[in-house]
Amino acid sequence: MIPMIEQHERMRYLSISLFLVFLLTAGIMADGPVKTFGDLMTIQATGSRLLQDFTAIGTGGAMVNAALVALIGLAVVYFSSVTLAGPTMAAIFTMLGFGFFGKTVLNCLPIMAGVWFSARFARKSLGSYSLIAMFGTALGPLVTYLMFELNYPLSLAIPLGIIGGFVAGALLPALAGAMLQLHQGYNLYNVGFTCGFLGLFASSALRMAGKMDPITITWNTHPHPTLLLILPVASALLVITGILDRNGNMRTLPSDTLQLQKLSGRLPTDFFDAVESGAPWVNMGLLALASMLFIMISGAPCNGPVLGGVFTVVGFGAFGKTLRNCWPVVLGVCIGAWVFGKPITEPGVLLAALFVTTLAPIAGQFGIVTGVIAGFIHLIMVESTAAWHGGLDLYNNGFAGGLTATLVISILHWIRTNRTKEDFTS
Amino acid sequence: MKRKEFLNRLIGEVSSFLLEGNPLRMVISLHQEEDGAHLSFFDDRQRSEEELKRIRNALNPKHTRPELAEYYGMMAGHDTSWDARLKLIGWQIKQATVQNTDSGVQIELWLGSDSFNPSQFSIGEKS
Repeated sequence: MIPMIEQHERMRYLSISLFLVFLLTAGIMADGPVKTFGDLMTIQATGSRLLQDFTAIGTGGAMVNAALVALIGLAVVYFSSVTLAGPTMAAIFTMLGFGFFGKTVLNCLPIMAGVWFSARFARKSLGSYSLIAMFGTALGPLVTYLMFELNYPLSLAIPLGIIGGFVAGALLPALAGAMLQLHQGYNLYNVGFTCGFLGLFASSALRMAGKMDPITITWNTHPHPTLLLILPVASALLVITGILDRNGNMRTLPSDTLQLQKLSGRLPTDFFDAVESGAPWVNMGLLALASMLFIMISGAPCNGPVLGGVFTVVGFGAFGKTLRNCWPVVLGVCIGAWVFGKPITEPGVLLAALFVTTLAPIAGQFGIVTGVIAGFIHLIMVESTAAWHGGLDLYNNGFAGGLTATLVISILHWIRTNRTKEDFTS
Repeated sequence: MKRKEFLNRLIGEVSSFLLEGNPLRMVISLHQEEDGAHLSFFDDRQRSEEELKRIRNALNPKHTRPELAEYYGMMAGHDTSWDARLKLIGWQIKQATVQNTDSGVQIELWLGSDSFNPSQFSIGEKS
C-alpha cells in the first residue's frame, strides 16, 4: 500500500504535469507546431529584461516556453529528492508564470548550475539549495543580456552569458540567507529581494562599462484568445485536485480552508504541512479566481506579465498567501494608484497590485491597517526599483517588497521593544 | 555550518520560546561529543498535554526538509521580537523529546552528523 504522504505528493506531480501538458498542447494548437517552434527559438534569443512580454512574440511559443521552464523546476524538485509541497510548488508556479515574460529554458540553466556549484562548494546537496536555484532564475535576463544584447560575436557572447549567470547563481546562496534576516520572513519573494540586490552590482558594472541600455516595455494589449483559457482551466484543476486529494473526506474541507485563512503566512509556512491536504489546493484555486476577478474588473489584458503575476499568486497560495492576508496589501496599492493619479491598468501599477502580495504576511501578522500601509509604500518603491537594477531582476516586486518589509518590520520591532510595559525598569 | 553558530541558533530559538511563558527559572545544558551534541532546556512552567504535543510535533517533523532547513533555518534564533517558531529548528535536528518534569517542562534536542546515533550517546553515563 502506498503511504499517505506519497499518495498526496503523487497527486501534486500528476496535477502539475497535467496542467503543463495542457499548456504545451494548447500552445501548439494556438499557433501550429512550426510557428510555435520558431517563436520558442526567438524567445530564447530575445532580450528578457523587464518588461518583455513573450506573448507579443507568439502565443504558442510563450506557452511552450512557460511549460518547459516549469518542467525544469519540476525536474529539479524530483531529482534533488525534496518534497513537492508548499515551497517547491510556489517555486514551480513562479517559474511557470515568469516563463511568459522573462525566463527562458536557456537563461535559467546557467544560474541553476551556479547554485549547484555553490551547494557542492559548501558540501551540501542540491536539495538544500533547490529553492534558491529555482527562484534564482529571476536573474535570467542577465544571461540573455550578456548573450544577445551586447552585440558581441556569439563565440564570445554565449560563454560570457553562461559565466555571468553561473557566477550570479553561485553567489545567491550566500546572499539569500543574509537578506532573509533583514525582513525576518515578511517578504515572500526573498530571492527576488536578493536578486535585486545582486542586480544592483551587475547593472552598475554594466553602466560603468557603458553597456547598459535603458529599460523598454513590451506589453501585449491584444492577447490571443487561447490565453484567456489558461486561468479558468488552472482554477478548475486546482479546486478539483483539492477535492480529490481529500480521499472522499469532504466534510471538513471548508473548515480546513477557513483555518488556513487564519495563518499569517510568514516565511516559511508550508500550507501542506499546516492544514489537512486539499485545503491548500482550494486556497490556490480561490486566489486564482480572485485574481481573475481583479483583472476583469480593472479591464487589464490577459497577457504574459499578467498571467505571470497570477501564477505567482497562485503558487504562493501553498506557501504564505491567503485571501485574508492578500487583500489589504492589494488595497494599499489601489489607494496609492488613486492618490498618485495612476491608472490601475498601467503595466507597473497592475503588476504591483498582483505582486504586492509578497507582503501578505505583514497583513496576516500585524493586521489590515499595517497591510494597507505596506501596500501603499510598496507602490512608491516599485515604481523606481526596476531602473536601479536595470530590469535584470525579474522579481522587481520582490526587491521592492524586501525594502518595504525591512522598513515596516524595523519600525514595528523598534516600537515593540521600546514601548513594552514589562520592563525591569518600569 | 560551524557548531558554535548552529548551537547558538538552536539555543536562541528554544530559549525565546520558553521565555514567552515568562518563567521564573530557566536552565540550559549542553553536552557535546565528537559526532553529536545534546541540548537540554528546563523551565518552571508545566504545560498541558495538548501543548506538549504541539511542541513535539513542531520539533519532530514527519519528513526531512533539506530545502527548508538549510535556507529558512537560518532565521532560527535571530528574531526574538515575535512568536518563536520551533519548526525552524525541527528541520535541523535529529530528534527531540519533550516532557513535563516535577517543576516544569524539559525539552531535549539531539543533533549531529548522519552517523550520529542518539541511543549510543554517553550523556547518561557521564552525568
